[in-house]
Amino acid sequence: MWRLNKVRHKAGRPGDSVEELKLKRREHEKALRQARRDRQLVSKRLLLNDDEDQSEVTMDTNSGEQDVVAVLQKLHHSGPERDTHLKALSKALRDPSAQLTFIKQENSMHLLVGLLTGSDATCRLQAVRCLHELSHSPHTSVASACLPASPYLLTYLSGQSTKFTELCLYTLGNLCPDSVVKEKLLAQGIVPALASCLENQRHNLAVVEAVGFTLSQLLQANDAAEKIIPMVLASSLPSHLLSVLTPDPKFGLGPAIECAWCIHYLTCSMKDHRVLLAQGALLQCSSLLVSLGGAVAEGNKEEGMELLICPLLRCVGNLLSSCPLTDLSAQMGDVRIVVALCALLQAFLHTQPALARESAWVLNNLTAHSRALCSALLTLNLVPGLIQLLPFSQGINTMILRVLANIAHNKKDFCVQLAHRGLLSALCATLKMADQEMVTLSMDVLFMLVVSSPQVAEEFVKQGGLSLLEATQYNSEGEIRQRATHLLEHHLLS
Amino acid sequence: MLQPDLVRLLTEGHVLVKSCDEDCLTGNTQEPRQSEEEEGEEGNPFNFTPQLIHLNKDHQLFEDGDIHRHMYLQDLYISEAEDKPTLSVSEFACHISGCSAIFSTLEEYEHHYNSLHRHVCCSCRRSLPSARLLDIHIQEWHDSLFTILSQRQDMYQCLVEGCGQKFSTSKHRKDHLIKIHKYPPDFRFDKTKKDKGNRQTKKQPQKDTTMDVEESMETHGSEEEAARMAKSASTEEHADLNAAAPSTESSSSDPLEPRYSYRVPTNVCFGRGSVRGFRGRRGRRK
Repeated sequence: MWRLNKVRHKAGRPGDSVEELKLKRREHEKALRQARRDRQLVSKRLLLNDDEDQSEVTMDTNSGEQDVVAVLQKLHHSGPERDTHLKALSKALRDPSAQLTFIKQENSMHLLVGLLTGSDATCRLQAVRCLHELSHSPHTSVASACLPASPYLLTYLSGQSTKFTELCLYTLGNLCPDSVVKEKLLAQGIVPALASCLENQRHNLAVVEAVGFTLSQLLQANDAAEKIIPMVLASSLPSHLLSVLTPDPKFGLGPAIECAWCIHYLTCSMKDHRVLLAQGALLQCSSLLVSLGGAVAEGNKEEGMELLICPLLRCVGNLLSSCPLTDLSAQMGDVRIVVALCALLQAFLHTQPALARESAWVLNNLTAHSRALCSALLTLNLVPGLIQLLPFSQGINTMILRVLANIAHNKKDFCVQLAHRGLLSALCATLKMADQEMVTLSMDVLFMLVVSSPQVAEEFVKQGGLSLLEATQYNSEGEIRQRATHLLEHHLLS
Repeated sequence: MLQPDLVRLLTEGHVLVKSCDEDCLTGNTQEPRQSEEEEGEEGNPFNFTPQLIHLNKDHQLFEDGDIHRHMYLQDLYISEAEDKPTLSVSEFACHISGCSAIFSTLEEYEHHYNSLHRHVCCSCRRSLPSARLLDIHIQEWHDSLFTILSQRQDMYQCLVEGCGQKFSTSKHRKDHLIKIHKYPPDFRFDKTKKDKGNRQTKKQPQKDTTMDVEESMETHGSEEEAARMAKSASTEEHADLNAAAPSTESSSSDPLEPRYSYRVPTNVCFGRGSVRGFRGRRGRRK
């Protein structure tokens, strides 16, 4: 289980100052961003032993290489102390160079697999620990060296020992991203194995979390859409993933987080979501967002909540894009989703602007074709809050303006209501923004408002709109000039 | 923050969509606003339609969320208390063609616009600080009637508002300004016509008139498009602008002409400070 309440400083050593830690973290973040740009964003997880602390991980492991060789020698001789040696081996294998040394030793993997499948249960556990350490290696040679163990790891997924199963799962999850290993695992039936594991162990939340992680590693692959995703959709995995989405208050958010990310990877990779929609994915995700939104609005922001909210938002956003209009009310059911989204927008605006942006995106998809939800935003008085978000850039204000445009696009009465809530004066400011998309959208919204009723047009003129538009006639962009002139000539001056 | 009643709405029981009377689906059933109302209109350039946006996993919008997720996977999770990302605010920009000034606040933008683009003489493209000074300038520099009348009566107004005195020549006025109102002898906004040098004789070649904000231009004889302002700010060339409205569509034939006089509408920009040294044909094309 991943203990979020302890911020873990993997990158740092004990004794690092706060500033140094921040620096290292920023460097790490930069590396991740570059990896994402290269579409190579992959992470591995390291499951710690129950008795050890993170601080032990960063202890000096310079002697790891020699240790590995030495311990291997001892292991080759059978004896009652094998589990002790294995424990020492797993410690030694923390060191990346020791990992390389290990695989270069003759018959090392063969030995390990033998212990993994032997009759001694303690040895099995220690052996899988060693494999887990190896799976964490950044070197691809190590990953492929672990292949002989994979069929056994898969077989053990149907076992009952929690710790053991967890270790098998995380090991497999760490190995998945390697393409050679992935092909083999798929052929060896990893998807059905994960499906039955999840089905049988869905009350064991630690295992659920591990399954979720492993599956997410599979689904993240760049070519997942071709083979993996259809396989997963055909299995029982989607329905089980949905059933564990609601977080358990005692256990924590971990399992829900992993499963939500799995569903996200499923929804964003394809356009056809019939299978997921049929299983109530949209309903489930949106009602979960409503309850999370409520918690956030009340001020109960559990740490790590955004790790769950983010994939849920994405699931809803993408599922909406393919949900047939006729099913929308059945699938959504609850108008409170817009309230929840506005709550999330406000709560995360300053701390996680990206989350605010994604919430705005979902709001756009909701309002794009649902008059009822547009109406709800007006009647529940959520529009002024949205208008207040128009100064914020990096994609937030453009998306919010789209939402407001969606509302205006419905009927003239909505336009009048929007004007009464201050949208006209807001537009007078957004028309002057540097972002061309904002300016174009502002013109479009302005047009809809002005033509909706003579009173709105009058009000706009009162606010100095004519001179604003006349100035806009000299905008450097032809499209904008066209719109300004059209508005002036056909609707305001005639 | 969210209103308390809405918070309650979220945390308490299920509320069904009250949408029986509202048509949930606006797809094809919504009021066809555009087509109905503006069927008679040609060339309606507004084309906004609501869009369902699908994002795939590598989309830019998802970047920050993905990074956060992976930082968590790699045990580098940062709690809110520790990490304060900066929320950025949109900048404002002067969009007047030729001006590329950027501002961080609306006030700065308004100040820029009002100072440089508001009171500009369309004949000589000088920027004046107020409507009154602009009026006086136009009168004294570009109004032939004024020239005639000033030979017979005192026409040169004192520049100080409220003073009301008039003088027979600009020199007299200047003396008055210096003596009575303590103005500096080189007050920028009281240059005599002679000071501007050979401006009157220089004329912009016709070719340059096509460099401008729009693609197609109307040229009525020596008229220059009022919107053309991509000339170098430092050369105060005498532009032979006619008094026509700044028409931005080639199809329109000065429908607004009667509204305008020599004076360019108060909020049209040109002139010094607002132009950024463009010469000749602008490379930008839509």
